[in-house]
Amino acid sequence: MGEFNIKNFLRKYMMLIAMVAVVIVFYFLTGGKSLLPQNINNVISQNAYVFVLGTGMLLCILTGGNIDLSVGSVVCLAGGVGAIIMSKNLPWPVAVAAMLGMGLLVGMWHGFWIAFIKVPPFIATLVGMLAFRGLANVIMQGYAYQVDDASFLSIFGGGDSCYIPDFLAGVGPDVGLNKTCMVFAVLVAVGYAIFTFINRSRLIVKGYKVDAIGVVILKTVLIVAVVIWLGYKLASYKGIPTVLIWIAIVLGLFAYITSKTTLGRNLYAVGGNEKATRLSGINTKMVMFSAYTLMGLLSGFAGILNIARLMGSQPTYGMGYEMDAIAACFIGGASAYGGTGTIGGVIIGATLCGIINQGMVIANTPPNYQTVVKGLVLLVAVLFDVIMQMRRKASKKTGNAAEGGAKA
Amino acid sequence: MNNFSVKDVLKKNVMAIALFVIYVFFTIMTGGNMFTSSNVASLIDQNAYVFILGVGMLMCMLTGGNIDLSVGSFVCFMGAVVGIFSVSNKLFATPLPVPVVLIIALAVGVAYGALLGFLIAYMRIPPWIATLAGYLAFRGLGTQILITASETSAISNFPSEFLAIFSGKIFESGYDSMNIPCIVLGVIGAAAVIVLNITGRARKVAKGYQADPMWFTLVKSILVAAIIMVIAYQLSWDGGLPVVVLWIVAVLIIYGIVTEKTTIGRHFTTVGGNAETARLSGINNKLVMFCAYLNMAVLTVLASLIVTARFGSANAFAGQNFELDAISACIVGGVSAYGGSGTVVGMVIGAALIGVINQGMSLMSIDQDTIKIVKGLVLLAAVVFEILSKKGNKRQ
Repeated sequence: MGEFNIKNFLRKYMMLIAMVAVVIVFYFLTGGKSLLPQNINNVISQNAYVFVLGTGMLLCILTGGNIDLSVGSVVCLAGGVGAIIMSKNLPWPVAVAAMLGMGLLVGMWHGFWIAFIKVPPFIATLVGMLAFRGLANVIMQGYAYQVDDASFLSIFGGGDSCYIPDFLAGVGPDVGLNKTCMVFAVLVAVGYAIFTFINRSRLIVKGYKVDAIGVVILKTVLIVAVVIWLGYKLASYKGIPTVLIWIAIVLGLFAYITSKTTLGRNLYAVGGNEKATRLSGINTKMVMFSAYTLMGLLSGFAGILNIARLMGSQPTYGMGYEMDAIAACFIGGASAYGGTGTIGGVIIGATLCGIINQGMVIANTPPNYQTVVKGLVLLVAVLFDVIMQMRRKASKKTGNAAEGGAKA
Repeated sequence: MNNFSVKDVLKKNVMAIALFVIYVFFTIMTGGNMFTSSNVASLIDQNAYVFILGVGMLMCMLTGGNIDLSVGSFVCFMGAVVGIFSVSNKLFATPLPVPVVLIIALAVGVAYGALLGFLIAYMRIPPWIATLAGYLAFRGLGTQILITASETSAISNFPSEFLAIFSGKIFESGYDSMNIPCIVLGVIGAAAVIVLNITGRARKVAKGYQADPMWFTLVKSILVAAIIMVIAYQLSWDGGLPVVVLWIVAVLIIYGIVTEKTTIGRHFTTVGGNAETARLSGINNKLVMFCAYLNMAVLTVLASLIVTARFGSANAFAGQNFELDAISACIVGGVSAYGGSGTVVGMVIGAALIGVINQGMSLMSIDQDTIKIVKGLVLLAAVVFEILSKKGNKRQ
């Protein structure tokens, strides 16, 4: 029952192991620079959009390997709208609402064509990619807009003060660390540990199968260590970047939606077998519509984070973002045929992408080779997933044959 | 027996009629500017690659709505490859003779096509992911090659033989006189269309198939012949027949015959119509998929040669958005986004339609961004039109 074998373990944590390996490789390639506090901070703020868009893309991919090619253009459009509103000296909440609204509208537009008219997603979103990039340029008339609303910038992670202020700076002796950040990291780590064990005992009470206590302890200790290490690194720079809070909120919210709610289950069901899902009374059109609507909303949100970090908006922003989001999902183990994939996977995929990008930048890899590497990483990740699936199918077949033989 | 009606004719040729109406519309809006010799010539020159790539994309889409996103980047990459071998540069000081370069280009295309076909057909990687990887990788590789090979990150000064094969004009003459070879070729083409249409109908009648009425065949042939003559006349005042026209016509005729008349062509449509049925009736689905992508890569090489020759240089921006143009041409030309139906003729009309919209709006000095929006909406309208008309047919 609680059998533990090394092969399963490797399969399950393949990408995590790859991530650790990549971190180590870049640590040596860059002579230790890649793990400097400032660089860790940069990995987070430069890749915030990958986490947000990857989350939305996961929802689409879950419904059957469908993608959204328009996200880059939508990020640009939403950002442009927001920047223009703020340049007219309107209060920033209006701009934020407009950007989210823009994203939502675009999402509904895609959702309508894809879910109700049955336009193939890649075509509908290809149209979006063209049309919304064009629309963004028309609205901005080819100009760049600056965003200098201080409160907007610090809330959404741009400029010099986009960090959670150190409330505890005056408490105790000065140790050169951001104490709020440190305390927060410890709280998160402890919270995670407590939650894991409570959850485990609840599952045992209900009679579910659980991992062996040794494995759980090891896993928890590792995660706690990583969280505290990350907290320490951030604390020795400027503290918690506000954008990290936003990423955490988006990821947490959608982790909950995908794993605990009916909508989440429906996404997996539609991707697993659309016909069976429809026949069991689920409105599959509505599920598809929701997936693309949420994708649009998240694109709008990524637009907010984007113009905040870059402190302005330009007609070329967001190009190629769709590739990053798609790559994050597949590297994180989402199936290209739909029905499998988790937010946890997206986190790993996006982080891995981010580390590779950052590492290559620090190691002075020419940008053109960077895109080549990105393409190959994407291909390898999918190839890995496809081969694993083939193996699983093959082993199932032989397994069944053996069982059949035993019965006879 | 002969249930021939005007309504059917309209329905079948709706895109051709749309093309005509839109062309006339833009000709009027631009005050006849659209119909000058130089603009007719540049319409063909600028869109040559769409016809070539559209044919390749058509073969991929027939097998089940599969696409190739990497064609644009591959055009850029191949331009760089051809460039470093045919012009003296920092990587290779001595240029190779043109035929050798062409063989190398073809070999690289076949190698990429075979790899792509293997990944998609035999490893069952979804086409858009495999080609997305190519989209990223080849743009990067191509740009890097160009940057390393030349200080301006572009290679120009291609040998004149190379330019003559893929751009330039046949028996070029001045712009002040009519080019006779061009008119002669036009007459030959027009006559061939009329003869082929009439003998084709006669063969159909002899075999007892249903055929269009004689007058309709005649009207259609004469219309097509007239269009060919008008184009030939216009081109003859612009220095002569561009070489790319020969390349386009050759590719279109070959693939028109392959898709309509041969078993292999039928296999593509069958696999796209119902993969399982195709497999059970003994078609090697995997091989068909493999061929579709191999073919796509080879045609992309041709498109790359044409584009490189047209600009006379290989640069990092070559081929941007070519995949979108090829896909749009197919979809607007009535190729099903789910596979299984579509014709070369349809794709040609789709490509021409997009080309005309593009040129017309540019001549009216509408900005590129609005053109992008319009292009996107035309694509969407075409898909929705196709899906809705199919639904209508089913209900009947």
